[in-house]
Amino acid sequence: MIETFHTGMFAASLCIIIAFFSFMKETDDLHRLLLTDLASVMALFLIALVGTDLAEALILPGLVVTISKLMALAEIYLVKEGIWGNQPARTLDIEVLQSAPAILASILVLYGIFLSGFSGGAVAGLGVIFYIICKGHQERFELIETVSGYAWVAWIGAFFIMLIFPSQWFLAVMIAGGAILIKVTAKLSLIGTMRGESDV
Amino acid sequence: MFDLNIEGAELFALPFGDIVPYFSIYSATLAAFVLIFILISAFDHPERQLNIIFGGDAYYEKEIKEDDTRFSRFMAIACGFATLGAVLTGDIFNFTLFAVLVGITNIAIVASAGNRHVLNAAFQYGIVAMIATVPLFGAAAIILATTGTLSIWTLAGMGAVPLLAKALLILGVMGEGIAPLYIGKAEIIRAQGAPFVLMIHFSSLLLFLRVTEIVLVI
Repeated sequence: MIETFHTGMFAASLCIIIAFFSFMKETDDLHRLLLTDLASVMALFLIALVGTDLAEALILPGLVVTISKLMALAEIYLVKEGIWGNQPARTLDIEVLQSAPAILASILVLYGIFLSGFSGGAVAGLGVIFYIICKGHQERFELIETVSGYAWVAWIGAFFIMLIFPSQWFLAVMIAGGAILIKVTAKLSLIGTMRGESDV
Repeated sequence: MFDLNIEGAELFALPFGDIVPYFSIYSATLAAFVLIFILISAFDHPERQLNIIFGGDAYYEKEIKEDDTRFSRFMAIACGFATLGAVLTGDIFNFTLFAVLVGITNIAIVASAGNRHVLNAAFQYGIVAMIATVPLFGAAAIILATTGTLSIWTLAGMGAVPLLAKALLILGVMGEGIAPLYIGKAEIIRAQGAPFVLMIHFSSLLLFLRVTEIVLVI
C-alpha cells in the first residue's frame, strides 16, 4: 500500500506543481475560478492514491465540500461581474454542450452496441438523446421510422428462425438482440426531439 | 493521550469504534467558547453604525433592518456550528472537512456585504481557500497511508505521523482561516451587518488553536 502511494505521490506532485504554476501565470478571474476545480481534483487525487476502503469513503465528502465551495465562488463571481440574472438565449446555452456531445454520444452509442439487447439500446438511446438535445435537430423522422421498421422486421425474422430452425438459436438471438437495440435506440431518440420545435 | 501537556485532565470520552470523540480541559474550553459565540451571533442585534460628517459635529445613525442581516446571521450561526464540529471531532479527515466548511461560511459572511470591492476580496479569499484543500486533504491522505488510521485517539503520543503531514495540515488551515487578512483589505468592518464578521475572526482563531492541539498530540 505504502509503495504504491509513494509511486503515485510523484505523479500527483507533478500534477500539483503544474496546477499551482498555472495559478501563478493566470490573471483572468474566470480562468482562475476554473483552475480551482483542478486544484480540488488534485486534493481528491491524493486521497484516492491511498487506495483503501476508508479512502474510498472519504472521496465523496471531499468532493461535496469542494463542489459546494466552487458553487459559492461561482455565485460570487456572477454578482461581482454584474452578470447575475442574465438569461441565455437558449435553455442549454452552455459551452460544454456545444463541444462535448459528439464525443460523449459516440462513447454512449458504442458502449450500448457493446452491451446489446434492451439495456444496450437504452444506453445508446441516451447517447442519441443527449446529442439531439445539445445540437438541435432537423426533421429526420423518416430515417428513424425506416430504421425502426427494419429492426422490427429483423426481430420478427429472428423469432421465425428460432421456431423453424431451432439449431440456429445463436444466430436468432444475435439478430433479435441487435434489432431490439436499434428499436429501443430509435424510440428513445424521439424523446430528444420532443422539446422546442414548433412543428413537432 | 491525557498525559500529554496540552490536553489536561480527561473529562469525557465516547469509545465508539476507533474514532473516539473526547473532551479534555483544552477541547472542552474551546467548545464552550464556540457555544457562547453561536448564542451571541444568534441573538444579538445588528450594529447601528454612526457616520460622522467631517468638518462639523453632526453625525447620523444608519438604520439597519433585521431582514437585511438574515443571511449573514444564518451564515454566522452555520460558521459557529462548523467550528464546533472542528473542535469536537476525533477524526483528522473530519477536521479537514469542517475546516473547509468554515472556509465556505466565511466566504459567505464576507460576500453578504454586497459591495463590489468586498465581493472582490471574498473571491480572492475563496480561491486561496479552495487551493488550501490540496494541503489539507493531502495531509489526511499521507497520515492515512503511513499509519493506517485517522483517529486522533489512536495516533495520540505515537509520533508515527511524518513531519510533512503536520506541515501540510497547518498550511491547509492557514489557507482556510486566512479570512481576517482579507477583511482588513475589504474594510468590511464598516459594512452592513458588522457584528457577524466577528464570527470570521473567532472561527479562524479556534481553528488555529485546534490544529495546534492536533499537531502536538499526533
